[in-house]
This record gives sequence, C-alpha cells and structure tokens, in this order.
Amino acid sequence: MKQVSILFFILLVGAFANEALAQKKDMAVACFKSSMDCANCESTLTEYLKFEKGVKDLKVDHASNTILIEYKANKNTEKDLAKAIEKKGYKAEKISKAKYDEIVTASKKQGQGHSH
Amino acid sequence: MRSIGFLILILLILPFIAGAQILEGVVYGKEKNEKHPLPGVNIYWQGTNKGVASDNEGNFKIKKGNGDHVLVFSFVGYQQKELHINELASLDVVLEPNLELGEVKVVHKNRGTYLSAIDPIQTERINSAELHKAACCNLAESFETNPSVDVSYSDAVTGAKQIRLLGLEGTYSLLQIENMPNLRGLATNFGLTYVPGPWMESIQVSKGAASVLNGYESIAGQINAEYKKPDGDEKLFLNTFAGASGRLEFNGNGNIRVYKDKLSTGIFVHASDQSRRNDENSDGFLDEPLSRQLQVFNRWKFNNHKGYMAQAGITLLTEDRLGGQSSFRRTMQPLPTNPYGINIENNRIEGFFKTGYVWPNNRTALAWLSNFSRHETNSFYGLNDYDAKETRFYGSAVFTRDLNVAATHSLNSGFSFIYNDFSESLYTNVIDRTEQVPGIFSEYTFKPNHNFTFMTGIRADFHNLFGTFITPRMHFRYNMGEHITIRGSAGKGYRTANVLSENNYLLASARPLQWSDDVFQEKAWNYGFALVQYYTLWGRELQLNAEYFRTDFQSKLVVDRETSASHIILAPLDGKSFSNSIQFDLRYQPVKRLDMLLAYRLNDVQQTIGGQLLEKPLTSRYKGLINFNYTTNLKKWMFDYTIQFNGGGRIPRYPGEGGEQIPEGFYEFSPFTVMNAQVTKYFRYWNIYVGAENLTDFRQKNPVAGADNPFGPQFDATNVWGPVKGQRIYAGLRFTLNYQ
Repeated sequence: MKQVSILFFILLVGAFANEALAQKKDMAVACFKSSMDCANCESTLTEYLKFEKGVKDLKVDHASNTILIEYKANKNTEKDLAKAIEKKGYKAEKISKAKYDEIVTASKKQGQGHSH
Repeated sequence: MRSIGFLILILLILPFIAGAQILEGVVYGKEKNEKHPLPGVNIYWQGTNKGVASDNEGNFKIKKGNGDHVLVFSFVGYQQKELHINELASLDVVLEPNLELGEVKVVHKNRGTYLSAIDPIQTERINSAELHKAACCNLAESFETNPSVDVSYSDAVTGAKQIRLLGLEGTYSLLQIENMPNLRGLATNFGLTYVPGPWMESIQVSKGAASVLNGYESIAGQINAEYKKPDGDEKLFLNTFAGASGRLEFNGNGNIRVYKDKLSTGIFVHASDQSRRNDENSDGFLDEPLSRQLQVFNRWKFNNHKGYMAQAGITLLTEDRLGGQSSFRRTMQPLPTNPYGINIENNRIEGFFKTGYVWPNNRTALAWLSNFSRHETNSFYGLNDYDAKETRFYGSAVFTRDLNVAATHSLNSGFSFIYNDFSESLYTNVIDRTEQVPGIFSEYTFKPNHNFTFMTGIRADFHNLFGTFITPRMHFRYNMGEHITIRGSAGKGYRTANVLSENNYLLASARPLQWSDDVFQEKAWNYGFALVQYYTLWGRELQLNAEYFRTDFQSKLVVDRETSASHIILAPLDGKSFSNSIQFDLRYQPVKRLDMLLAYRLNDVQQTIGGQLLEKPLTSRYKGLINFNYTTNLKKWMFDYTIQFNGGGRIPRYPGEGGEQIPEGFYEFSPFTVMNAQVTKYFRYWNIYVGAENLTDFRQKNPVAGADNPFGPQFDATNVWGPVKGQRIYAGLRFTLNYQ
C-alpha cells in the first residue's frame, strides 16, 4: 500500500519537475509556414509532432497555416523538425519568429471568415 | 449536509460573476443550390459544452469566452462545419447537405464526460477520453469515475457486478448496445462483463423516463454503449492488461475498408483469464472466481453516401467461472462431502441488423433496428443446479418526418416486436415461457426556438401474457437565459421480472428460493427535474448540475431475506416501493489542465417487506465522488485520482440466525471509502498505464457468512454491500494505428 502511494507521488513529482526544468534548459523555437487545408490536418500534425524528440510546446494553426515548435536544442534540430512535417505530407517553409508573429496577427485580423 | 449548503450558495452567487462577449450570425442550409435559413442547428465551441441552437430564421447568438476559438455547426442531414473565430463580426454560415443518415454523433473532446445543453433528456456522455481514465476492461468498470452510476458486487462468490442508477438495481435501467436493448434475461448477472471497454467508443447515461422509441422499459433510466465503427479512423488497436492478482486481458480490433468508402468491416477480439486463486481474507473462499472469457465480434457497414446505410454484426461468447472454496477443483462433484463449489458456464451468440434511408429533402427518414440472441447457462451453486436457455428477438421500425420546413414540429412513429423464450430448471421445477409483444408508438417534438424543446410520446403494447398496456412519456428542456438549462420529465415504465434468471446469484445461500410467480410485470412512474448551469469563472468554464428523480412502483419484485428463516422469498410487492434521488455535480478546472469533479448524491429507497416499509437493503444512503484528472502540456502524461465515499445502509438478516445475542451493527453497515488511481504515459502509437483499484485495500469483513460450514444452515454469500476484492495493482499497454 505504502509503496504504491510513494510510487505515485514520485511519478507525479517527476512529471511536474520535468516540465519545470524544461523551461530553463536551452530551449529553441522553430517557426514554419505550411500547407494544411483543414482542421483535421491540424490535429493529425499536432498528434504527430508532439512526439518528436525534445518537443515541449507546439502551436499548429491551419487558419494562418503556421507551425510553432518549442523544443530542447540539444535533442532536436530545425532541419529534422521540418523533415517530420514534410513526412506527413505538408510543406515546411522556415520563417523567423517575427514573421510568424506577423502572419498570425494578420490572420487573426481577417481570419474569421475562413472556412473548410 | 454542510457541503450541500455550500453548493447551494455557489449556485446562487454565480449568475453575478460571469460575463463575456457575444457573437452573432445567421446559419443557412444549401438545398438545390439555394440557401435558406436553417433553424435548430447546434452551434457550440469546440472542446466545451457551451452551445446554442439557431432560431426559426437561422439567427444565433453565442457567448465567446477567452479560450473559445473554433465554433462548430452541426445539424442532422448537413455536414458539420468548423470555423475559426478571431473577432466578433457578424457571421453568415452556409451548411452543405450531407446524405449520410445521422447517427448519434460523438464529438471527441478532451473532456471525458459532459452534460449536453441541447438534448431534451438529462444525459451524461462518456467518451473515449473518460474511458481511458479507468483501467480497462469492461462496461462495469467504466463507471468508476462516474457520479451517477454505482457499481457493486452482487454476491461474494460469482464475481458478478451490478449497476445502480438512482439507487435502483440495473434491471430497472434499459441497457442498450448501439441503441438496441441488450444484456437482459440470462445476461443480467454477468452482462456488464460482456462489453469489453476497449471495444467501446462512447457511453450515454440518461436518467428518468427515456424516449418511447426505445420501448416501454427504462424505469430508472437508460444506458447505451456504442462500439467502435468499422469506417472509423482506427486501423488497428491492441490492448493488453495484467493485474497483480493474476488477471490477464487481451483486446484487439481492426478495421478493413473493403470497397472504397462504401463498405467496411471491423473485427473485434476479447480474451480474459483469471487462473490464480486469491483468498486474501483467508475465509477459505476465493475472493473472485477463476474465470475465462472469449469473445469475437465481426461487424459490417455499408454506406452509399446518398442516403442509404446498413449495418450488421455477429458476436460469439463463451465464459466459464469456477468459484467457491479454494480447495474445490473442477473435477469434483458437487457433494456435501466435497468442498463447496460454484461453476457457471455461459455460451452466447448474438447478431444485429440495422438499416436506414434518408430522403433527399432531409425531412423524412426511415430506420429499421433489430437484434437477436441465444444464451445458454449451465450452473451449480453448491448442491443447487440451475440450467437455462433463452432466445430473444427485437425489431423496431421508425419513420421520422418533419412536419414543416423549419422542423418546428416533427413526428417519430413506428412499430416494434419482441420475442423472448425462456426454458429454465431449478431444484425440481422446469419453467418454460414465451413472451410475444407487438407494439406501436408515436412521439411528437415541438421546438419553436433554440431555447425550448417539448417532446411527448405514447406507445401501446400488446403482450401475450399481460394484455394491452399504454406507456406515456413527456420531456421538456428550457434555456433560461444563457447560463441555465432546466429539464423535466415524467413517464411510465414496465418490465418483465424474470424471477429466476435475474436473481440466480441468490442461490449462493443455505436458504432455498421460494417464489410465487415465475414471471410477472413490474410497473412504475418516474418523475425528474434537473437544473444545469454553465458559467465562466476566471476564464474557465464551471458547470453545475442539480437534479431530483422520484420513482414510484405500482408493482415490483421484492427480494425478501428477512422474514423467513427457511427461505429467501421472491414475491410481488404488497405495499409501497419508491426511490428518491438528489444529486449535485460540480465540474471545474481550478488549475490549467486539471479537471475536477465533485459530486454528491442522496438515495432514499424504500419498499414494503413483510408488511413493513423498510429501507431497501444493501443500498448506500449517499455517495460522494471526487475525481481529479491532470494532463501535462501536449498530453504526454495523464494522472487520475478518484475517491468514492459510500454511505452506510441496512443489512437484511433474519433475527434467528444471530442466535440469542444480536451483536451491534448486525443490521447495519458503516460508510466506507474506496480510492482508485492511474497514470498513463502517451507515446506516438502506443500508451502505457499503471494504476491501482481500491488503493486503501478496504474490504467487507466476512462477506461469506458461515464460511466454515458452507453446507450448514448459516451459509450465505449474498449479503454483500462493499468491496470483496482488496487492492488491485495493474498495468497495461495500448497500441493504436490510424488511417491517415
């Protein structure tokens, strides 16, 4: 009984600690312009990319057709992430964070009429 | 009681806290290249249950919270549409017609259970996310995190579990698989273990009277399980599970697209095994029987995408349980000179066929639903032999018609037929009977605007044993403003009490069964009222639910274990029997990605036994439930913790059996607490989970009375009110491969 609760506690602490530490370690951000055309693609790609090595946060948006990946720099590279996107059949055109912010903001301005 | 006071306070204060932005628009349907306003379209924010419906002119208004991003439009007969909403400009939305017959559409969300704001019947929807929270393995275990459904052991030896809704036994709830009645008659005792968890896509639990379309049963409510569909995204799914007590399970299913997107088939396999003998309380009796179950299911679906659809399937099941004293062996004869043994063998075949057509105008639809089953049971409980065979057929045709273009008025009418044949033998009695019940029904729905729905139905059934009877039912739903939905329902229900097949677990007792009627009809009225509220509190949705249900029996089978020293008496009710159930739920995310559920229910269930109005025995007077579900960012880890507080209750005992001195607590069991916890780690194609059931290892003391002399007069394994099995640690693996 006791062992189980201890095990449980360790797992719980482990998961939180994992997340907290991840924030500090050398994180990198990669932004891409892509070619998704439906909400389904968005979820397929999200489900796929989140299990790429070192990925800690992810924003996939089909309306603006952008992807933002936050990852551990020592575990993955921009190039490999782009390959992963292409493997799923979508374009992965590398853009800067500034450009990404610009596209997302613009998309938000005109975005509401977008349909699938 | 103080917690209730607190809840009521919250309910009163909340309307003043909330506040957000309003989004407006018009929704149109496209028909023959013309667009016309579409009333009654369900419009909701993806991932939430904040929804509205469009009015007669297709207008809608919906509140936009901070987290609301994607707006979903769904309507039977039209393709679902999802829109990204970034600003509050007025919207014009056009829906394209969709010729596929509208089935119960299951929306996949991260939130495991939600209460619909649109359905006129108070319904809890449990989807695959919720099903992941419990270990595995079958329908009974899927309710561990559910506040409405109680699951308990029927007895201490067969391993059978029963559910309770509104404090009433599972037989008073209509159990359905894919919207067709199932798991009844001989399948009553073990039926919940015949539905493997990993085969299920979702479960719907509705309380109170159900729609007349589903029959005259459903006195306390209705539980429907949907299996995975062959045209779903899943290509292959595998699940293995091992429990520290020696339980092993395997589940697998695969979908094959046979011809384009039109014809598909799904194959399902389930195997479970318990071959280790566990006797933790050392009373000489196994805590759970040795058991083995094998089940295969094949289903087919045809859809021409032009309005016609057909589905069919067949299931084979074989199951064997061997319980009783741990020294009993399969090779032993049931004799008083041998250890006490129990053996139950079940073999079952079932099939279903359903088909439907939707006319191109989308206003008219025709559907046919049917299933059949053949079930054979061979069993002995000590020296009592019980053998039975059952054949059952159910068929129902429903014709749906919207009476005007706006679908303000619509009508569902049709006919049904039930055939049920039993052949049972117990002691020296052979009981044969056949039920044949043709019936007709009609249901009218009035939906003048998105805030109000009124539904009333009536059916007439012509029973070969009980004559003609009428079943009236009524439901309404009203949205009072944006935050509050109220619902009411009233209806009559009937069911056939299968005196032996539904109660054969009572044979695990020294007292033989005594019954006056082999079969008779139970009748009851049910009334219910529910109040659901949705608010935005600190940017997150808060959902509050309060409900009250009352069931009044006119006729009922009463199990009387306390007026006779020599028999357990099964007799029709002579007096009163009723149930009152009050429940409060609160669902909120106090911290990002941490879902919290607090629930509390009071049960007041009483019936006349031996001329005295008494509390129903072995029923907890209350139940509290707390569930926490936490997922890490991107849902790579999931943590679940559930604690159930079960109230005390009455134990039915014949005074003589305690001897001269009646010990304290003889007629009463105390409240008890059960905890479950689970951790799941997700990977791209598979996930792994570890957990524990009954963490605190709480067990009922001496679940088998007279265990030292099982052929003696004190023996009784049926007075069970709490867990029989102790702490169970388990681990499992799931593997999923999807079609792209």
